Amino acid sequence: MIVAEWKPLPEILERLAGKKKLLLVGCATCTAECAAGGEREVETLAPLLRMAVARQGGALEVVIKTLERQCEWEFVEELAKLIPAADAVLSLACGIGVQALAERFPEIPVYPGVNTTALSIREKPGLWTARCEACGDCVLGDTFGICPVARCAKSLLNGPCGGTRKNGKCEVDENIDCVWTLIFERAKQRGQLEVLLKVRKAKDWSRSRHGGPGRIDREDLRV
Amino acid sequence: MSDRSEKFAPRIVALYCANALDPKADLAAAVKAAHGFSFRPVVLPCSSKTELSHLLKLLAEGADAVQVIACPEGSCQFLVGSTRAEKRVARGRSLLSQINMGEERLGIARGRGLKVEELMDLLERRANLVRGLGKNPVSGEESK
Repeated sequence: MIVAEWKPLPEILERLAGKKKLLLVGCATCTAECAAGGEREVETLAPLLRMAVARQGGALEVVIKTLERQCEWEFVEELAKLIPAADAVLSLACGIGVQALAERFPEIPVYPGVNTTALSIREKPGLWTARCEACGDCVLGDTFGICPVARCAKSLLNGPCGGTRKNGKCEVDENIDCVWTLIFERAKQRGQLEVLLKVRKAKDWSRSRHGGPGRIDREDLRV
Repeated sequence: MSDRSEKFAPRIVALYCANALDPKADLAAAVKAAHGFSFRPVVLPCSSKTELSHLLKLLAEGADAVQVIACPEGSCQFLVGSTRAEKRVARGRSLLSQINMGEERLGIARGRGLKVEELMDLLERRANLVRGLGKNPVSGEESK
């Protein structure tokens, strides 16, 4: 899922300076799953913002709404009735949701309340780790289902760098596994170490950020 | 500031696990007897029923402090309920610090079968911590 985390509250409050009526919008999909932008987080952030502004001598009315998905126009439309009464919108969705609101309601400032960080898996409660970079040319078939693009600090595709620690951790952070150690171990477990020696085609990075904004155009899905 | 004087009587919401207080505790009498602060007791089936949003809403609606009273570690009937409550309170305190509201407006204490006197002692301690912070700015009341 797409994961995100709250921006520091002082940063949010700086954005909201002078605003009187705020529409705080959550997203019940990805950012709800990572406890950053669902209904629960919206209900947690709203009183904090009200208190923070009151402490500065002001008053902020916060209207809350959580959409099923902020990245789908059908759901975004639910905000149409609430927008005219607001001075600003604070979105707790990922960057896609924030942009969707800003595009649909260009007449009002839409601010992000979270920093979108990665495409991650929940390893255990409260711990999300990146698993995918959405690079557009998946290599998982060659790497035993473990992604070196997302999980290697250097996105190395042909084996580990010289920085692997003796305990199999990455030199960048002792809490991160060296992904090439994981790939090696899985290949060994399957008895297929020779697969790692295979010379592979160069990865097509033009499908990633290097090729500009991604785009999938499926004419067959339109009528 | 006048609202930081001893005359300021903090209004505290006490959220307590049903097992944390003595079932014979006369809370109605305790509420009337409170001196230097006032409190509103709210019983919970487990302290883990305190969502972070609930705690912050109580403050945003004018309480000067919120005191959670949970069972001791290891004696929660739901095993980890009181630990969950403690973590939520810790997160709430951190968020209150970020907005300079004062983390002491939110606290948790542990106990089992607490007598009224013990409850009043811990609420008095919370009240003393909050007096230094002054009234909740969201209370809407003029400082006296």
